[in-house]
Amino acid sequence: MHPLLLLAKITVYAAASLTNVFPQIDASATYSFAGSNTLAAQIQLGAPADVFASANTALPQQLWQKGLCTQPVVFTRNTLVLIVPKSNPAGIHSVYDLQKPGVKLDVAAPAVPVGSYTRQILKNMALASVLDSVVSNETDVREVLAKVSLGEADAGFVYSTDARTAPGQVTVLKMPAWAQPKVQYGICVVKSSANVAAAQAFIRTVLSKAGQAKLLAAGFLPRVKPKPAP
Amino acid sequence: MIRRAVVWGAALAALAFLALPIAAIFARLSFQHLASSVVTDALGVSVKTTFVAQALVLLAGTPTAWVLARHRFRGRSLVVTLVELPIVLPPAVAGIGLLAAYGRMGLLHTSLPFTQAAVVVAVAFVSGPLYVRQAIAAFEGVDETLVAASRTLGAGPVKTFFHVVLPLARSGLAAGEALAFARGLGEFGATIMFAGSLQGVTQTLPLAVYQEFDVNFHTALALGGLLVFVSAALLVTLKWLASSSTSAFRFALSSSS
Repeated sequence: MHPLLLLAKITVYAAASLTNVFPQIDASATYSFAGSNTLAAQIQLGAPADVFASANTALPQQLWQKGLCTQPVVFTRNTLVLIVPKSNPAGIHSVYDLQKPGVKLDVAAPAVPVGSYTRQILKNMALASVLDSVVSNETDVREVLAKVSLGEADAGFVYSTDARTAPGQVTVLKMPAWAQPKVQYGICVVKSSANVAAAQAFIRTVLSKAGQAKLLAAGFLPRVKPKPAP
Repeated sequence: MIRRAVVWGAALAALAFLALPIAAIFARLSFQHLASSVVTDALGVSVKTTFVAQALVLLAGTPTAWVLARHRFRGRSLVVTLVELPIVLPPAVAGIGLLAAYGRMGLLHTSLPFTQAAVVVAVAFVSGPLYVRQAIAAFEGVDETLVAASRTLGAGPVKTFFHVVLPLARSGLAAGEALAFARGLGEFGATIMFAGSLQGVTQTLPLAVYQEFDVNFHTALALGGLLVFVSAALLVTLKWLASSSTSAFRFALSSSS
């Protein structure tokens, strides 16, 4: 391959929760951040993506099964938290306060990975009924973050990494580890890519020590869950 | 001869370019998806919010346009520009503005966001100016002497407005309302930012198209087809209204002479 081709600027379709960290890992790529489900649908309709980084493994796996991308690998993990505006208008101090009447709960739509995780964690905690308080199903996690940090919604479920990007605007309420769904991020090279080598290089960078260090610094979890010491 | 072929070729290409996406929606549409609750709920929300918003636009916009068309005062052009501004604003800016003004943490501290009323507000904000702008032009086009004649013949200002001005301006008003209605029906950005998206409450047809796009493409197509159908029906109705208003005007003229 001509060396210049290796410099081709690649287009990375990445989950909205990677908005801050991916440009830190590779500033030269062109990014399209949105809900992973939206990106997957766009790729299925022929969008010119070289790499797909999803906030779950199911979506890239579906693309892989359809022959639209390479077999995805897990590159990081995340946890879910409940956030409330700093002013905390509804007085929410634990997830159980979401059962109060009239709480304006903002979540992502069920098709968005974080929306699906939100429903799982509530189900795990036998709190599925609080979904009746949902005031909006957002298109990606950053919309939830925006509506809560603006103080328009009383509470919302986001990744712990999103909550860190709005310090001073939201208060984070941690969710118990036993209730956490398995939040694994999958990445793959899109089959129709004209820059396969550069796309593979991007994935290698994300998986590299330096890439993983950037993810950890942003609050993401190591891609493999550390085994408990014997 | 060649020039003619080029002109016809360009026209045909342009028509095909415009018609193809609409034809493609119907080519791939299966009507069974219209029965999905996402579709029926979105239709309900859209119909309800559009009619309330457009009623408000007509009720508030008509006197506004009348005042701006009939009175010359200092700063009038500034006021007209302000009224027109939402037309050129990107919808996302409209959404931010509405949140900053009417959000819970906004200037007025209302609890509008996430309610169906918020959809109405967003739709009225982005679509109203289209009507007002056209209505100003329509009122300005009304012959002063006819208004004066009506007044000298003893009709009060209200009677003159409803029996002389309104029939004369009707086709211009209908055209403006058609634009406002269509813009309101398709409103997306300001709605999703200000009102959010919740099925059966704030999820209008365009928001449902976006949500279903990656969930069930066929439902998205069905919603798209529905929007095309509603918009086309609206367009035809308003064209008919506009043309019939001219004959009503002629009738009014001949019967009063």
